[in-house]
Amino acid sequence: MESQVDTSKIVQFAKLEDVLALGRAYSLWPLTFGLACCAIEMMAVGMARWDLARFGAEVFRPSPRQADLMIVAGTVNKKMAPAIKLLYDQMLEPKWVIALGNCAISGGPFVYPGQYAVVEGVDQLFPVDVYVPGCPPRPEALIEGILKLEEKMTGKRRFPVAKLQE
Amino acid sequence: MKPTIEQLSAAFSDLVGTRTDTAPAAPAPVQAVDHKRKGYDFDATVASPQVVPAAEILDRLGFALDAVTGVDWIARQEMEIVYDFFHPETSLRVVVRTRVPRDNPELSTISSVFPGANWHERETHDFFGIRFLGHPNLAPLLLPEDADFHPLRKDYQP
Amino acid sequence: MIAQKEAPSAGPSGEAPQETFVLNLGPQHPAGHGVLRVLMTMDGEWITKAEPVIGYIHRMHEKMGENRTWAKFLPNTSRIDYLSAMHYTHAFVGAVERGAGIEVPPRAEYVRVITSELNRIASHMVWWGALLSDLGGLTPFLYAFDDRELILDLFEGICGARLTYCYYRFGGLCNDVDDDFLRGARAFLKHMPPRLKLYRDLVTNNIILRKRLTGIGLISAEMCRKYGATGPVIRGSGVAYDVRKVEPYSVYPKFDFKIPVYPECDSMARYLVHMDEMEQSLRIIEQALDQIPAGPVMGKVPRVLRLPPGDYCYAVEAARGRFMVRIVSDGKDIPYRVKLRTPSFSNLSLYEEASRGMILTDALAMLGSLDLVIPDIDR
Repeated sequence: MESQVDTSKIVQFAKLEDVLALGRAYSLWPLTFGLACCAIEMMAVGMARWDLARFGAEVFRPSPRQADLMIVAGTVNKKMAPAIKLLYDQMLEPKWVIALGNCAISGGPFVYPGQYAVVEGVDQLFPVDVYVPGCPPRPEALIEGILKLEEKMTGKRRFPVAKLQE
Repeated sequence: MKPTIEQLSAAFSDLVGTRTDTAPAAPAPVQAVDHKRKGYDFDATVASPQVVPAAEILDRLGFALDAVTGVDWIARQEMEIVYDFFHPETSLRVVVRTRVPRDNPELSTISSVFPGANWHERETHDFFGIRFLGHPNLAPLLLPEDADFHPLRKDYQP
Repeated sequence: MIAQKEAPSAGPSGEAPQETFVLNLGPQHPAGHGVLRVLMTMDGEWITKAEPVIGYIHRMHEKMGENRTWAKFLPNTSRIDYLSAMHYTHAFVGAVERGAGIEVPPRAEYVRVITSELNRIASHMVWWGALLSDLGGLTPFLYAFDDRELILDLFEGICGARLTYCYYRFGGLCNDVDDDFLRGARAFLKHMPPRLKLYRDLVTNNIILRKRLTGIGLISAEMCRKYGATGPVIRGSGVAYDVRKVEPYSVYPKFDFKIPVYPECDSMARYLVHMDEMEQSLRIIEQALDQIPAGPVMGKVPRVLRLPPGDYCYAVEAARGRFMVRIVSDGKDIPYRVKLRTPSFSNLSLYEEASRGMILTDALAMLGSLDLVIPDIDR
């Protein structure tokens, strides 16, 4: 009698959604949406030192039709708000939003009593998935934000959490 | 060409002439200033109809436009418009000031002499509501297109 | 070869030409350098009128200057033009020091010069990468940011921030530089010249770049004067105007450096001015590192800072051009008015006149060569 082949090593079953989520999480295509200072740190993340390409997300697309991640990097103005909403609406489902920097989270350092030009947080315009605080956040913080987003999409974090060296 | 303080003094004293609308204790309308203390060399206060001739004097002497801005002196019910000029070849910095009443702030544009004033005056209009007569396009520059408020006024409430 | 075309002539019955359409560039656009919107009336691929629309990142800096104390405005200064934040803080701090009569110790002045010049190099690297990526060359951006990271590491060591420093204070600096910084700065001085040579050989002398920038975007010296354009724009038009030489401030008179000037008035001239400026900045840093004295880095500043009534100005040569701060004080501990005269505002204001009749790709190359940072325009 032949020995049984252990098929579990060759064939795996999974839910389609899980496989799709895995594919989407590791090939995020961000929209080039730098508004202000945080945009420079977003560009630094895409460059050689902090290489966002390791996580599959270095393909910044200029057109919202081709992007699935909008990284709002910078202050959102009342004059700019309709344009941002239009860009968000033009993105195709499924889409995610990272609010990068204090200005995108809550208006940042430009909120004061009597302010007239700044929208206090991009989540007043549309839902945000991950908030990355900082003014500007370090590039490592943005990478951590992307990893958090991947955890949100796939349900499991696949990269170690950075620990302080003792 | 390199203008001198004496040339500026002479030209502006001719322009300002015998103005009688300055307060008795006010500083002289045309004066040289210590650059180290103030950051500019020459200060001229003119009446609001005289801003275009003042700009023409400076254009002839080769100055470049630095900035045009306003200051809201609400306590005196006046708005001050300040024109800053620099010179590409010398270190001379000239400031020309004028005042308009706060409830009807208007004066001529200098954009026919210095085209760069076009945007500076639009911004001053945005922030203070000062109307520049003869300006080709006083639409909002920094504020939204439909803005009808002037935020840098001291009594501005959002 | 310059591609220019006259405006379309009227139709046979004298009515307006039918061929123009309005093309909207931005406010979200990879070549927009931020949130710049340009409404271009086009005749085919030629621009008949390009009108910049700004205000999409207006962050109320001047109004914020009126409702906080002098010191609390310092973080704002870094965010006006975040690529050359040291220069902008320098101008505001210098204006207040001028008004209040605060003396700055020499060591602080030298450190200010060293950090400002390093910041200038970092800013020009971003400009260079962005211009080339607009023109289609995507690789230099990676090299530029590589060099920039070395400078940002130095800055992080002294003030904890990579981009928005707020390192200067009224009377000096917030803390002294340590030996790591001085060693790192010297190491950077060794690292950079071979890289600049690499960029010169691979990019500046590249036939494609030369053909795309030479003869494009002519801005005469007279136009610069009328619009108040400064920085590499006016130096690429043949006028040797640099605030560090013409209206000297800080300890710049102690250093021996040249002002690069090119008379051709085209985008290539502005490009070469930028590249030469980086070499001159390295010279200044080297001299400053040799001459820097020991001593305190903070002068005497009153606890509650009040300036005598009046207005005070201070101008610096930022990476983009002449940045001037005009502060009006009425004797209180809060400014009455803070006016920020930014270089990109004046540099962009001449775009409408200078870009008439240009083909779209050339107009974008010219926009890149003007070195704009949009929050600098909108404040």
